[in-house]
Amino acid sequence: MRNLLGLFLVLAILVVIPSVDHVFAQADEPAKYIDRRVLIWNLFFKLMTVAFTVGAVVSGTLIWIVWRFRETHPQAKPTEYEKSDTWGGPA
Amino acid sequence: MGHHSNWPEWLYVGVIIALMVWVGAEAWNVERLVEHVPADAEVIIVTAQQWFWSFEHEDGTKEIGTLHVEAGKAYKFEIISKDVNHSFNIHDYVVLMDAVPGRVNTVWFAPDKAGEHDIQCREYCGLLHYNMRGKLIVEEPSR
Amino acid sequence: MTLELQKPRPIWQIMFSTHHTDIGLLYLILSIAFLFLGGVLALIIRAELFFPGPQIIADSMTFNRIFTVHGTTLIFLFILPSASAVGNYFVPIMIRYKDMAYPKLNAIAFWMIPPGGALVWLGFADFTWYATPPYSIISAPGPAADMWIFGLKILGISSVLGAINFIVTIMKCKHPDMSMGQIPLLAWSFLVSSMIIVVAIPTFAAALLMLLTDRLGVSGFFNPAMGGDPIAYQHLFWFTFHPEVYVLVIPAIGMMYEIIPRFSRKPIFSKSSGIFAFVLLAVVSFSSWAHHMYASGMSFTEKTVFMVGTLAAVPASGMHVFNFIATMWNGRIKFLTPMMWSIGGIALFFSAGAGGVANAAMPLDFTTHDTYWVVGHFHLFVMGTIAFGTIGFIYYMFPYVTGRMYNETMGKVHFILSFIGAILVFFTQHMLGLLGMPRRIFDYPEIPSWIIGNQIASVGAMIIGVSMVIFLYNLIYSSAKGKPADIHDPFGLGGTYYYPFEAKTPHHN
Ligand code: HEM
Ligand SMILES: [Cu+2]
Ligand SMILES: [Cu+2]
Repeated sequence: MRNLLGLFLVLAILVVIPSVDHVFAQADEPAKYIDRRVLIWNLFFKLMTVAFTVGAVVSGTLIWIVWRFRETHPQAKPTEYEKSDTWGGPA
Repeated sequence: MGHHSNWPEWLYVGVIIALMVWVGAEAWNVERLVEHVPADAEVIIVTAQQWFWSFEHEDGTKEIGTLHVEAGKAYKFEIISKDVNHSFNIHDYVVLMDAVPGRVNTVWFAPDKAGEHDIQCREYCGLLHYNMRGKLIVEEPSR
Repeated sequence: MTLELQKPRPIWQIMFSTHHTDIGLLYLILSIAFLFLGGVLALIIRAELFFPGPQIIADSMTFNRIFTVHGTTLIFLFILPSASAVGNYFVPIMIRYKDMAYPKLNAIAFWMIPPGGALVWLGFADFTWYATPPYSIISAPGPAADMWIFGLKILGISSVLGAINFIVTIMKCKHPDMSMGQIPLLAWSFLVSSMIIVVAIPTFAAALLMLLTDRLGVSGFFNPAMGGDPIAYQHLFWFTFHPEVYVLVIPAIGMMYEIIPRFSRKPIFSKSSGIFAFVLLAVVSFSSWAHHMYASGMSFTEKTVFMVGTLAAVPASGMHVFNFIATMWNGRIKFLTPMMWSIGGIALFFSAGAGGVANAAMPLDFTTHDTYWVVGHFHLFVMGTIAFGTIGFIYYMFPYVTGRMYNETMGKVHFILSFIGAILVFFTQHMLGLLGMPRRIFDYPEIPSWIIGNQIASVGAMIIGVSMVIFLYNLIYSSAKGKPADIHDPFGLGGTYYYPFEAKTPHHN
């Protein structure tokens, strides 16, 4: 859990600060003819890089969880709620 | 509920918000750049109708189905429709704008290399929508 | 919780009943029937697109009618009624009331659906599921188009009546000992989605009426030839149907909230954040409708506003994912069919949302809008998340409804095939969109990458088709011949179920 949160934090820092920077740095007018293909596809690939990274983290977590916490896992043990039979009660 | 603390969730929400702010800012910036039409762009009037495209250049020449432009120049399309909604699309140049009857929608681009590209209709417009296609021919600069 | 069917009764006793479980059963059967009808249309579409050139469908008009009815059917006649089925079964039980608040209204709302569906199917209109003018006014052939308009009108009223019933049932009929916070999340999901329906649908209802009078030539609201504005229709339409996508997804998330804790043998990680995210989604769902119209000629400012409004919905969706993951963490997860469908649904939910973010980032929409990317995006939601959640829940409620157990192996095979199929179809459709293939086309030029993409997608669709045949067989065979289920713990999970199915004591009449 700790590591994961650390990763999120790093991601946030890596992503937020450069972008704020970027937006303020680019306030000047565009050059003669900008190439919309380049601008738009670059944005697309940047977004996909982030999306796939986050996607890898999310699906990796999901896969790890279903792997580790399946009831057939050697280390599986009853949850604390099972012992007291409170897990089905009004949450 | 209750006995565990929720700070991991709020941190996670914070990360999502940060990511969305980043996406929004980047998108806003790029959109601002691509919407800025150069003052010297040549106007081409694009008329959509079921189920073909026609074009009228600034000098009055008209073309149907095939559009000729020159590399290195900027063009501004003024897109109109004679019947139903269509959408003018040159996918290779990421040009997309709906043709809506009663409106003039504009989009611009500056082709950089000679070549041939597909023009297609991307808004459903009936029977031959699938075949409402044209060609964009980018020619070497004449000057 | 014995949900009827086990004691065989003549069919008319169920049909003319106003009891919530009987109506739930009717909703369930109707929605499954339309799932298969709509699914067959999808397979026809995919078969036609396997090769360029016309093969099995004679002309493009027929093709256009098929995808129009496909979309209309699966949204209005499968997803919405299947959610109502679940709501009818579970909401009264969860809030501890003997029935829905207005049982007769409940029956009326249900019985409006067959005529509405019949109008859509007998007409077989061609103007796509959003009936955009001026095409729908000046070009779409009647009487199909008019029948669709009337059909949707009826289905819309049915939706609103059902929603009013859910709201009143939950707010007014819940057991006096129960606070709002004690209402299970599944019931909350119905409360929230019903509120969206009540606010959103009337706009479309009005637009439909205007469309009809425009078609009759007595008005020109959306007809530019008569001074009207076709864009106005798009605003009205999406004002209803962007929120409507949350109407579709919120109950499916509610169903996952029921299944995931149960099969993880843990309570939900944070119920309050689940409720919060539901309510937040409902509110922000109204701030993003024009993200469907970036290419219609809106100003930069308008586009920016709707982009921000769209992105604002993402944190709330993300909170649900967090809740699911955190609930499974440290659990002891039993992988039976309902749980597999729920987890599969969560996995696809992420990709669907990421694609949505790309659509929302305004310049990117010019690469994706009205291409197959959009088809892939919303199918990851409607099929990958919503139908997955719902199908999982159908397996989950199967023993309660029939008193028998479905066949577990077949259920798992169904899931695995559908999951593989969904990835093949919908991810490939994203790629096709990036390659520029427009949606809603009967035929396409012989571009090699388009051909391969379409063939992969068609194979995926056939795999889903096969899995659904297994599903149907499992449902029919097991409801007649399946092993009798242990009603108190059909999935062998242990623990006490929190909704008190023995104590269905009405507290007033
Ligand atoms: C919650 C479940 C969702 C469902 C059921 C859903 C469904 C849909 C549907 C049906 C369409 C296409 C409508 C059409 O053109 O026929 C669509 C398009 C779109 N969706 Fe979603 N969506 C969902 C969530 C999201 C999210 C979370 C986002 C963004 C964060 C999003 C962004 C978009 C955008 C921007 C479009 C327009 C794409 C275009 O036409 O260019 N959607 N969605
Ligand atoms: Cu067209
Ligand atoms: Cu939307």
